[in-house]
Amino acid sequence: MSTSQVRSGGLMRVDPVGALRELDDTGGGSDGPSALGSGPSTLSRVLRFIAPALGIILFLTLWQVSILVFDIKPFELPRPTTILRHINSDKTFYWKNARTTLWEAFLGFTIAFGLAMIGATAMALSRFVERATIPLAVLIQVTPVVAYAPAVEIWFGFGLTSILVDTTLVCFVPFLINGVTGLRSVDPNLIELARSVHASRREVFVRLRLPSALPSLFSAARIAVGLALIGAVLGEFYSGATGGLGWAVSFAQAHNIALQLWGSVYVLALLGATATLLITGLERVVLHWHSSQRE
Amino acid sequence: MSVTDTQMTAAASDTLVSVSNVSKAFRQRGRVVDALHDVSLDIRRGEFVSLLGPSGCGKSTLLRIIGGLHAPTAGTVTVDGMDADSARASKQYGLVPQAPALVPWKTLGQNVRFLSGLHRGGASHAVLDNSEISALLNTVGLGGFERAYPHELSGGMQQRASLVRAFALGAPILLMDEPFAALDEITRSDMRYLLLDLWSNSGATVVFVTHSVSEAAILSDRVVVMAAGPGRIAAEHNIGLDRPRTPEMEDQPEFHEVVRVLRADLRASHTA
Repeated sequence: MSTSQVRSGGLMRVDPVGALRELDDTGGGSDGPSALGSGPSTLSRVLRFIAPALGIILFLTLWQVSILVFDIKPFELPRPTTILRHINSDKTFYWKNARTTLWEAFLGFTIAFGLAMIGATAMALSRFVERATIPLAVLIQVTPVVAYAPAVEIWFGFGLTSILVDTTLVCFVPFLINGVTGLRSVDPNLIELARSVHASRREVFVRLRLPSALPSLFSAARIAVGLALIGAVLGEFYSGATGGLGWAVSFAQAHNIALQLWGSVYVLALLGATATLLITGLERVVLHWHSSQRE
Repeated sequence: MSVTDTQMTAAASDTLVSVSNVSKAFRQRGRVVDALHDVSLDIRRGEFVSLLGPSGCGKSTLLRIIGGLHAPTAGTVTVDGMDADSARASKQYGLVPQAPALVPWKTLGQNVRFLSGLHRGGASHAVLDNSEISALLNTVGLGGFERAYPHELSGGMQQRASLVRAFALGAPILLMDEPFAALDEITRSDMRYLLLDLWSNSGATVVFVTHSVSEAAILSDRVVVMAAGPGRIAAEHNIGLDRPRTPEMEDQPEFHEVVRVLRADLRASHTA
């Protein structure tokens, strides 16, 4: 019972962290404690903890070794150790630009969430609104943001507004579709129970529908974190930004500074990973009651 | 099982739920299906009535019409002088669905108080206070589990919580829709006597939907046998077994006779 594939009104989205968790589930299942209380051994617990790190370390080692073996030039692809040293020596630069990009991504993510919840509520309350909205949502979803980002720049000009529009647009649809799915996912028995005591629509919405939507919304949030960073970086490419990691990448490209390009990529990866971990951690606390959190 | 005339009059004057000529038609894939046809039924205050029948006989539909959850196509339901909707608005009903349907993010203690907290103040009667609800939980053996979440409880424990949630409303009418159908046989048997315990202490009127003959026989004051196509009442039987009912009664000839009669009715209505 994992949420690695989020059903979203006919659209299937692959959720990487959910998939990780599924692979992580070494037996036990969702039937509560495993047989005879023999929990995972200390060794398997340690292995479970270091396994994800092991994969990344192995990847970076291969990278490093390949450069030596195939004699790849630093301007083509620097070594991971060189990149990490470079980031460390230029901490202020990366911290400043990371903050800019993070702020843009966070704002876009939040605006998208707020707008999507308003839309999802309207859609959950009316099948007509849902039917009228879904095709438009799918169009936004399938149109590559790279294609319409220049148009956004024409409409909203250089600066933060354009960047936020890009970021919001890419984050909006996962929140919208998962929001509707979530709001509709309430156990019909609970709705009937609420009706049997004459609960108001508002009570049903606030006390049953919204909490029921949380698991889907968390899945959407994990997808949207990555998308928000894409939106922010892309927005910086197109909107004449003077800071941010996207700007740092395009500057590095224009001036042929491979180290700064890779340094920005590393920092972006780190930002995305950290945000995802934060959301997953929050999810574990908030959704402790949900089947997706059981091992 | 005979009832004297004076008792009949007394019983008639104490009718709590009155179902008169109720019909319900659904439209299903373009066809009109008669779920219920011209059903009339009076239920006395404090009575335990079972609706017994095969699937498709409209017993759950009748339960929901009594509870004001479905509107009848024709006919009326009167509850204590009100129509079913007004009765629902004044929180006259405690519903126990087939699935426990506990709120997964609420603890057991919060769950059994959840319905009392909805449409708060709507009840025209006293709802149970905190200590009374705790006492109910103790009665059903859930005393130490108030802080547990539903997923930490067994199916039987969840269904007991669902019973307590209904009784906690202090509602005069309890509507139960095959509440034990999903449980294993042993748990189910325990649940029946637990329910009888809770019911005898509450004085509530129970309408209990089931497709189990022995369940209807051991629980009820009266069993209403229903038939399908269209859904209708085929027969009614007062159950003369003594109260309180005990598991030992299920081994006695009187019980077997009740079961035999109900079975015969079910068969007759099925082949008719």
